[in-house]
Formats: sequence, structure tokens, C-alpha cells
Amino acid sequence: MKKTLIIAKWEYIEKIRTKTFIISMFVTPAILLLFTLAPTWFNRHEEESTKAYGIIDTSGIYFNQLRNNLEKIKLNDEQPKYIIINLFDKKVKLNELKKSADLDVIKNRLQGYLLILNGGTDKIKINFRSKGSGSFDDLGKFEEVFNRVKNKIQLENAGVDTSIISSISKYVDISPIKIEENGKESKADFLTLFFSSFIFIMLLMMMVLSTGGMLVRSLLEEKSNRLIEILVSSCSKKELLAGKVIALSGLGFTQILIWFILGLVTARTALVPMEVFDNVLPMLGFFILGYVFYVSIFVGIGSIVSTDQEAQQMTSYISIILILPTIFAVSAIQNPGSTLIKVLSYIPFTSASIMMLRLKIETIPPGELLTIVLIMLVSIYLTITFSSKLFKIGILSYGKRPSVKELIRWIREK
Amino acid sequence: MLVAENLTKDYKDITAVNNVSFRVEPGRIFGLLGPNGAGKTTTIRTILNIIKPTSGRILFDGEPINDQFFNIIGYLPEERGLYKKSKAIDVILYFARLKNMDKKTALSKADYWLKKLDISQYRHKKIEELSKGNQQKVQFITTIIHNPRLIVLDEPFAGFDPINQQLIREIIISLSGLGKTIILSTHQMDTAEKLCSDIFLINKGKEVCSGSMIDIKKRFGTNTVRIIFEGDGSFISTLPSVIRIEKSNSLSETSNISSSLEVTLKDDIHPKDFLKDIMNRLSLTHFSVVEPALDKIFIDVIRNSQ
Repeated sequence: MKKTLIIAKWEYIEKIRTKTFIISMFVTPAILLLFTLAPTWFNRHEEESTKAYGIIDTSGIYFNQLRNNLEKIKLNDEQPKYIIINLFDKKVKLNELKKSADLDVIKNRLQGYLLILNGGTDKIKINFRSKGSGSFDDLGKFEEVFNRVKNKIQLENAGVDTSIISSISKYVDISPIKIEENGKESKADFLTLFFSSFIFIMLLMMMVLSTGGMLVRSLLEEKSNRLIEILVSSCSKKELLAGKVIALSGLGFTQILIWFILGLVTARTALVPMEVFDNVLPMLGFFILGYVFYVSIFVGIGSIVSTDQEAQQMTSYISIILILPTIFAVSAIQNPGSTLIKVLSYIPFTSASIMMLRLKIETIPPGELLTIVLIMLVSIYLTITFSSKLFKIGILSYGKRPSVKELIRWIREK
Repeated sequence: MLVAENLTKDYKDITAVNNVSFRVEPGRIFGLLGPNGAGKTTTIRTILNIIKPTSGRILFDGEPINDQFFNIIGYLPEERGLYKKSKAIDVILYFARLKNMDKKTALSKADYWLKKLDISQYRHKKIEELSKGNQQKVQFITTIIHNPRLIVLDEPFAGFDPINQQLIREIIISLSGLGKTIILSTHQMDTAEKLCSDIFLINKGKEVCSGSMIDIKKRFGTNTVRIIFEGDGSFISTLPSVIRIEKSNSLSETSNISSSLEVTLKDDIHPKDFLKDIMNRLSLTHFSVVEPALDKIFIDVIRNSQ
């Protein structure tokens, strides 16, 4: 036991000082934050400014009401979202009007303009002319407002009571609410759901790959310079393996701790929505289960490979399996009850990632949760048993990678 | 005392060590010799309990080697290497601690050996910043720092310059003088010849020759003398006591006017008699009985065993 701790301490200090570890500790979450949160952040910022739009309403029927309605839309800071300018002039030909309006758009004097032709007839045609295709949000708003205005005017012309008209034209938003068993409610927004579970899956993957990779590399080094022989003539293989696994888990937890602190700090800056931390404890549980499972697989791999290329090959296979659940993330959020997602959560290789996803989007019955945790625990026990057998023989075999048949013999050996 | 009894290690398709038995006395240096792939490393690994033999057993002071022996073993593997990114002193302390030394003793011993091997100035340098020779010195320290009773050295001199070879040789001899059981595996015969009191020659997993150095030299010695002289030595080959003559240039006294010869005599002729025969006919400047070099014995024995 004493030697196990000596080894664990050595391995922990030896590895925590490496550049790889320091880089993966800080750069990984930074990159993730950038990729997942930057788009939403930039969108929010884009909204912050008022935009000028023009309208050419050849019929003159809609302009005033359109302007009133559009200028009522406010930004977060209570500034109007749009300023609407009348570009129509009876004295100028339509073509000339279009030309000068287009120029205004190109010169960035206007964000875009609405061209309404054949107003008041059934053949009404409207173009939203702008430079880019980036103003989907604005297009949607204009469409919605125009149709409301058009309906209102038609109803008025038909002599319908104004109070009825205003009641009809009230627009109602539908907001999604996620129900949880204990009666709690929370706002479920697709992007937040996707990114918050995605971040956890990516963090798990990065952590498994970085620490697992470190373990494989250090085993390879010890194997190639025969340090391993000095080690196993100084302590039992069991002590050696235990020491290494403890050190690696220590590294993992150090990483989690630092990431957690980083997460809290960024949450305070409102860069990360607080929803990311919903259900964080059970997710952390699955994170740890997944981590231990994969790390014990890496121990086995590190024991049987004897070149860098082999190690890289094996590592890339594992990373594919690890990233697999993110492919299902979108469909899981859209359709949480799907059989595929259920099945994947029972398979130890994908279980941890899928469960971190499911914990975000649905309430999992305790029975199912317990079964999955049990499956994970049993799988971890099995991989540790197999890996330690591979370790005991593998660390002292050099040269050619053992065949599957040999591996089975190693596992069977007492 | 270390005893190996009927040691056999089978791998899937080869027998790496085949029914080998020997004993290593404390205070004597035991040379485990053999060509590449002879089974030296496998034998060492079994001795050190790194791998289990297929059959046979290893006893140290009458007890089978097991996990209790970790702390009394000092092992220097043939392929060297340490944790490259770590400081020399940290690496030494790590291995010392693994051998159950307490921190304080380990530290003072580390300083003692760093000084003795003249690398104190590299104490806080990273291993990768040291020269190959100095890295090897650090590794040598990790092998002996815990004052092990059983020391196994696999090619300990490889990579050292002659001065450092001498330094290491002196340390090994002094350890032997302290009554340590030392196994030295090498294929450098001159090293073995200078150090080992006992020899065990192995080839293809089998013992081919063993015993004390003195006995083996006697056993494989031929009746050969070396002479250096001035004058015409052509008559020597016609003497009835002579079997073979070889020119030898190994001695520095040889010059243009003097010749040096190695003369193999018939088994029943005493060198003294041969000396009498030639003494009056030549101006003799050197006469010595040639001991067989260990590498010659090695080559002969290995050839014969094949």
C-alpha cells in the first residue's frame, strides 16, 4: 500500500507538470466555449443596435401601420429595433426609386427595404431586398407584421368592430417548458440543451483522451527503456497498476475541479447560461463512471501496444466511439423517447455520454437509472479485471503486438 | 547465497532457458556470459521474480524468491533509460523510496553517491539534459542506493568511457568486498575476465561451461609460451617439442630488430625445458606462459557446442 502511494504520487506529479496536461486543462474548455457559445453570444450582440429599413409601398395603404407596428419592437435596452423610412415618392418612377434604394443598401445607409407592389389587390407581391441573407430574423418579423397589418386593414374595410380586430391581431408566443417529476419546471431551449450536454460529452472525451493518452505514452516509454523491469523488481505489479490508476484518477479529478471552477466563473459572467448547470450532480456521476471505464480500457491498451503508431491507432478508435453520441444528440433532443437512444444508454461504451444528454432533456425513471448505473459498475469491474491481466503480462512482452488468441490466453492465465 | 535449481522457461515456440542450475556465492562476482539471445536476460528476469519460471526454482539464502525480496534487489537492465523530464535527484529518490528507504536516508545516500560518481553538479538537472554517460551514472546510483544484498548488472559498462569504466569497476569490486551477491551479465569478455571470480557460460538456453575463473582457464589452457628475441628464430619450428608457431605483435617491446612469437608446445613438455632449449641459441628479452583469453575460450566453447 505504501509503495502504491509512492508510485501514485510520482506519477501524478510527473504528469501534472507536462505541457500536454496543462494545455488540455485550459485550452480544451476554452476552445469548447468558443465554439459552442460564441455564436449565441455574437447573435445577442448583433441585436444590440437599431437597424434602418426602407419601405416602398406603391399603394400607400400599408406604410403608416407597418411603421407604427415595426417601430414598436424594442431591443433589450428599450431602444427601437427598427427605424422605418418611407422611400416612396409619387413623382419619381418606380425604376428610379428602386435604383436609389438599392444604392442606399449597397452603401450601407439602409439595412434593406421592403418593396410592396400591387397593394390592395389579390396579386400583391412583396420583396424584401437586402445585401446579405443574414437577416432571417428581420425577414420573419417583417412577414409577421405585414400580414397582421394587411388582415387588420381588410377587416376594417369590411366594417368589423375595432375591438374585435385588435383582439384577433394579438400575437401569442408559445414557450416550451420542461416538466420534472418533483414538480419543478424549467425553460427548455433547444440550443442551450444541445450545447450544455454537448459540452459535457466533449469534456469527457477530451479528458479521457488526454489522460488516457498520457498513460499509454508513459507505459510505452517505461516499456521501451525497461524502466518497467526495475519497477516490477521493486514492487508488485498490482501495486504498480493501482498506483498508476490512482494517479490518473487524481489527474482526472484535478481537471474536473478546475473545469468546474472555470465553469462557475464563466457562468457568473453570464457567458454560459445557468441551465448548463441543471442536473449537474447526476451528470457528474456519469462523467466519472464514463471516465473510469475508459481509463481502465486505456490501461489494457497501453499494456499491449509497443509502438507509438499502434498506440495512436488504438486511441483514435476510442475517440470515435467517444464522439459517437454527439451524432445522436440532435435527434435525441428532438425525440427523447427514441428506442435507439434508449438502447445506446445501456451500452457501456456510449452509456455515459448518452446519459449526460438524456439527463438534460428528460426525466429518467429511477429504475432505469439504477439499471444503467449497475451496468456501468459491472462493466468497469470487468474492464479493470481484464486490463490488469493484460497489464501483468503485456508490460513485459516486447516486439510484435499480441494476436487476439494470445490476448485471450493472457486473460485466462492465473 | 543465490541458488538456481533446474531453471526452465518455455515460451510458445522456444525454450529460452533449459534446465539451468548454478549458485552465486556472496562476496564473489558471478559472470553470466553468453552470445546474444543465449537466454541471459530471461535467466535474470526469473532470478528477479519478474517472470515465473516454467519449472525449477530460485532460492536466496535458502528461501524461494518472492515479493518479500523487492527491497534487497538492485537491478540494472541492459537497456538504460530514466524519466527524461524529471530531475536527477527526484528520480534517484523515487527509486530509493520504492525500495523502502526513508526519505532522509535516501537523501543522504543520494548525495554520497552523486559525489562519489562525480555528478553532484547535475543534481537538479533534468535527465534529458545530461550526457549519456551521466544518465548511466544516475541509473547506476538508483541500482545500488538502497544497499541491496543481491545486485544484478546487465552490461554495466556499456556506454562508459575507460575512466568511468574503471570507476564503476572499483565500485563493483568494493560492493563484492562487502559480501554482496553480484551477478554480472555481459558479452564483453575482457570485463568479465577482470572482474568475475565465477563464470557461467550459456548458449541457446543451455549451460555450456561453468566454474571458477581459475579452473576454467586451467581447463581450457593450452601449453603456450610467448617469447621475444633478437636473432634468427627459424630453428624453433624444427624443434620436436613444438606443435605450432604464431607471430604475435601484441607486446610493445617488439621493434624492428626483435621478433615476437607465440609457441604452442606438446602437452608433455614443460615450458622450463623449452626455455632451456632456446636460451643459448637466441638473445631472449621476454619469456612468459600464455593464459588463454576468456574470449578465446568463449568462442571455442560456443563453436563446439553448436
